Amino acid sequence: MPPKRRDSVRQGSSRHSVKSAASDESFNELLKPMYKGKALTDEINTAEDKWNLLPAFLKVKGLVKQHLDSFNYFVDVDLKKIIKANEKVLSDVDPDFYLKYLDIRVGYKHGATEMDPILPPHECRLRDLTYSAPIYVDVEYTRGRKVYSNKNLEIGKMPIMLRSNKCTLNGASEGRMASLDECPLDPGGYFIVNGTEKVILVQEQLSKNRIIVEADEKKGIVQASVTSSTHERKSKTYVVTKNDKIYLKHNSIGEEVPIVVILKAAGVTSDLEIMQLVCGDNATYQDLFAINFEECAKLGIYTQQQALEYLGAKVKTMRRHKLTTLQEGIEAVATTIIAHLTVTDLDFKEKALYIAMMTRRVIMAMDNPKMVDDRDYVGNKRLELAGQLMSLLFEDLFKKFNSDFKANIDKILKKPNRATEFNALLSINVHSNNITSGLNRAISTGNWSLKRFKMERAGVTHVLSRLSYVSALGMMTRISSQFEKSRKVSGPRALQPSQFGMLCTSDTPEGEACGLVKNLALMTHITTDDEEEPIKKLCFLIGVENISAIDSSTLHSNFGVYLNGTLIGTTRFPSKFVTQFRKLRRTGRISEFISIYTNSHQNAVHIATDGGRICRPLIIVENGASKVKAHHLLKLKQGRMQFDDFLKQGLVEYLDVNEENDCFIALYEKDLSEQITHLEIEPFTVLGAVAGLIPYPHHNQSPRNTYQCAMGKQAIGAIAYNQFKRIDTLLYLMVYPQQPMVKTKTIELIDYDKLPAGQNATVAVMSYSGYDIEDALVLNKASIDRGFGRCQVLRKNTTVLKRYPNHTQDIVGGMRVNENNEPIFQHASLGPDGLGEVGCRVESGQVYINKSVPTNAGESVMNHSESTHRETPVFYKAPEPSYIDQVMMSVSDNEQALIKVLLRQTRRPELGDKFSSRHGQKGVCGIIVQQEDLPFNDDGISPDIIMNPHGFPSRMTVGKMIELISGKAGVLNGSLEYGTCFGGSKLEDMSKILVDNGFNYSGKDMLYSGITGECLQAYIFFGPIYYQKLKHMVLDKMHARARGPRAVLTRQPTEGRSRDGGLRLGEMERDCVIAYGASQLLLERLMLSSDAFEVDICDKCGLMGYNGWCTSCKTAEHVVKMTIPYAAKLLFQELLSMNIAPRLKLEDVF
Amino acid sequence: MSREGFVAPQNLSSAASGFTSNKNNTVKYICTSCATNVSLGRNDAIRCSSCGHRVLYKARTRRMVQFEAR
Repeated sequence: MPPKRRDSVRQGSSRHSVKSAASDESFNELLKPMYKGKALTDEINTAEDKWNLLPAFLKVKGLVKQHLDSFNYFVDVDLKKIIKANEKVLSDVDPDFYLKYLDIRVGYKHGATEMDPILPPHECRLRDLTYSAPIYVDVEYTRGRKVYSNKNLEIGKMPIMLRSNKCTLNGASEGRMASLDECPLDPGGYFIVNGTEKVILVQEQLSKNRIIVEADEKKGIVQASVTSSTHERKSKTYVVTKNDKIYLKHNSIGEEVPIVVILKAAGVTSDLEIMQLVCGDNATYQDLFAINFEECAKLGIYTQQQALEYLGAKVKTMRRHKLTTLQEGIEAVATTIIAHLTVTDLDFKEKALYIAMMTRRVIMAMDNPKMVDDRDYVGNKRLELAGQLMSLLFEDLFKKFNSDFKANIDKILKKPNRATEFNALLSINVHSNNITSGLNRAISTGNWSLKRFKMERAGVTHVLSRLSYVSALGMMTRISSQFEKSRKVSGPRALQPSQFGMLCTSDTPEGEACGLVKNLALMTHITTDDEEEPIKKLCFLIGVENISAIDSSTLHSNFGVYLNGTLIGTTRFPSKFVTQFRKLRRTGRISEFISIYTNSHQNAVHIATDGGRICRPLIIVENGASKVKAHHLLKLKQGRMQFDDFLKQGLVEYLDVNEENDCFIALYEKDLSEQITHLEIEPFTVLGAVAGLIPYPHHNQSPRNTYQCAMGKQAIGAIAYNQFKRIDTLLYLMVYPQQPMVKTKTIELIDYDKLPAGQNATVAVMSYSGYDIEDALVLNKASIDRGFGRCQVLRKNTTVLKRYPNHTQDIVGGMRVNENNEPIFQHASLGPDGLGEVGCRVESGQVYINKSVPTNAGESVMNHSESTHRETPVFYKAPEPSYIDQVMMSVSDNEQALIKVLLRQTRRPELGDKFSSRHGQKGVCGIIVQQEDLPFNDDGISPDIIMNPHGFPSRMTVGKMIELISGKAGVLNGSLEYGTCFGGSKLEDMSKILVDNGFNYSGKDMLYSGITGECLQAYIFFGPIYYQKLKHMVLDKMHARARGPRAVLTRQPTEGRSRDGGLRLGEMERDCVIAYGASQLLLERLMLSSDAFEVDICDKCGLMGYNGWCTSCKTAEHVVKMTIPYAAKLLFQELLSMNIAPRLKLEDVF
Repeated sequence: MSREGFVAPQNLSSAASGFTSNKNNTVKYICTSCATNVSLGRNDAIRCSSCGHRVLYKARTRRMVQFEAR
């Protein structure tokens, strides 16, 4: 965000006060006398108990707080700024007319203490509506001679982010959530538009308004670039080298301009001063830069006016009124170059300094090629969130709204004599639909097209994946990058060391988006914009010398102080300044999200207040001792202190990536020493929410954790507490989900144990039959009968009963009966209303919505023909029957009836269904074996799953083995064990429990063969492992066909399972058959079984005729019948149609 | 290549089509908001008679449904 539009609203204070009571309840556990097996009176060990800060952080921040904060900031602060920037609507016709926006609010009226009641989110989901709240504005306008004001004028509706402070669910208790049919564990942070849940993914971008220096060592080019982004435009300015000389480059300046010319144009006319600004007293730099003066002198430019005129002549402009070259030059320096710096009263000093700084950075990189910036460094990136994208969109729509409004006013005011006095309010409401539909359309299609920035972005929003609770959660923490996927550079995809603690190290997809799509780590926060002005003043107060008062010659002898990339002053005592500044932040005098750090390479102190930086909290360490002491943690446990209190008391602070570089962070309390400045709260926060599900991930080979991150999102399980009230297009639910025996702290924090997706299966790691090769699993039939891996598939079908302009409408009709008054087969499951009966079974070919559409819908009302209806029933088509679960009737927003039918299937595991443990070890069910035939141990326990041991050596998933041992110990001990990353239950302790219970320490058991009853020759690794059932099921994929539908154009079989398509004998298969020499087989496959067609061919002219007659030769003499593929015949005809005559030459076969 | 979709048989063959049943029964629906039973005819507006809520669920069938417990 540019520094332009700021006012004095600080958002920090509002954030603390809004604390959702719902999350309070889920964290109530913390406040109970016994928490995690510890009583209040127990001794507090800071080294172990400091992790309690993490739940405290999540209690305040939540997992999707970045989305909510960003949206809240947009609605509460940014909207008001937008209104302020576009506050007046004037008329070209009547100079006396004006309309001024005074205030804007979303969801509540002026002076109202409460929000307006809005439709609850679940009703919006069911009725395909948009969850939105009205946008009210207060206006002041003229009517005749008088000034009127009007409050609470609705200009449109704003889609509301769930759980934001404008949402009904904000601060709702668990009971209230239940009464609204909402899941208290649902993270929120998404929108509901036309009944679908849409997420605006976090976008990663290179930071705006900052200098990035890059070098191409092969070509010997060094360039410093800055992307200036203001509300008006976006432009990029470069300072580049060319033949060792330095130039300034900009899109709207025709050619590169020598840097000295630009500096002269910006008012630094003395060569000495230029040298001082760029090089200081560094002789090497001076030598490198000196050549540039020559360039300028050759052009004969010595004064500012000459320089401006030279510049003005180069500027490409599209202006209506011609300016003189001098004016063009001034305009270019003032507004085009480095556009984010605003020039007042033609004082170019700031801009000249900025260009000089860019030049200096180029010179530094020329001198030492290592002095370049890294584009992939996380500190050089900014994350764009829903609020920022919405604000861009809203400003665009609001401008459009105002210009439409103005055009409307002008039209009315132009009329010479009006009957009544003009009332502007009457015409303002006409356009209110534009804002509403504009916002809705952008969110529902994901196309952000803003003409102002020439921004045309598609795929900004995604449908929230509700496959499982983790997949929804994983979507909220996802970050997508703007880089092109096709480019073959490894840099943006590689794991950056600076990602540590900010972005999850494991969770990234495989394949083309690998490394480009990232996920936030558990304890991160994304900043929102903060004000610059007070920080600037503060800097001057604590000893920064103002840049405008500094002599150019001393500029580089001291440390420069940069505020959001712009030089504001220098300081002689950088470390003292930084310490003082940090103290102020720790005492809460300035926002905790403002970062400050020293860059010793550039002799600079950088202060950042802009939004989109990723930061995370760390414990402050002073004099080698952690500031968080036992009594603080005790108070936290007792509920007398909250996370924010830790911040306010200066015990904990947020560091962004750049400031982290300025610190020494200890991982554990034992590592503390004098130099250490910070202490990690908990090391497992390097992982994100999804990777946090893996037990003992620190024992696994790293790609396995990445695989699990992808698979955890496909696991079937419980989705939300309101899962049976939801009517989604496709919903997979597990019938008996269990929480894992081996948990992690992350699992508890994200409530995965309340909405699990998997079951604890007793696994024997051994070979059994031949049906377990290539990762196939052997399943126990008795376990399946008891409900292992059983799941339900719910599928929605929506019908809208349309109304047509001629007052006819769609109807759902009754059923048809045979002569015995029994319904015919197709209508067996219908009720008298033409909809499936709830609870009834529907088989393939049966109708469950018997809809009819009028045949005369297109005719006019005048035509009084009797309306007849044509049946357009919805057939059920699937290999297995379903049951009708719910039939919902409602009305959508245009008063048309909306019918949703939910079909349910219960599925038990079958051959080919996919399962996976939590260690990236997926496998399909290879065989289902009777329990009698399975091996059993002394206690008579037989496994649910037999897994082949070949899965272990090459994959090195040691974590899975430890999970088994911990799980087994937990089962014997009656406890849930922990497999938290970099911690968890120790293997030694687990082995001890096993031994105490009479088992082998290694988790191996002696098993008896289920077939012969003999002991197995080896001890078998045997115990519980948490298994997930993945959504890929055979029933959804199986497909076979003999004869079936064909495509109309080519008469070849259709393609794909959904169209009952044929199975293709492709080119590679064809090659095999050719190689084998089975030509007749090939002929049959490629023609007879596909699109054989009999044609009449004239042997004389070689063209096709018909009915034994050649149309071109006008004879039947030479016509021969033969069979060719229809596609070939089509090709010949297509060629004929473009004036190419393919002629066939016939010869005898053999 | 065009990919015309596979269309399930749309018109029932005349032999199996049967006769249109003329029973114009009203069907019971349940309001999601107040759980009252609402009887709606063919052309009634979809709205709960007692609370005016606009989301109704069809009541479960009174027919016998046999499940195969596997």
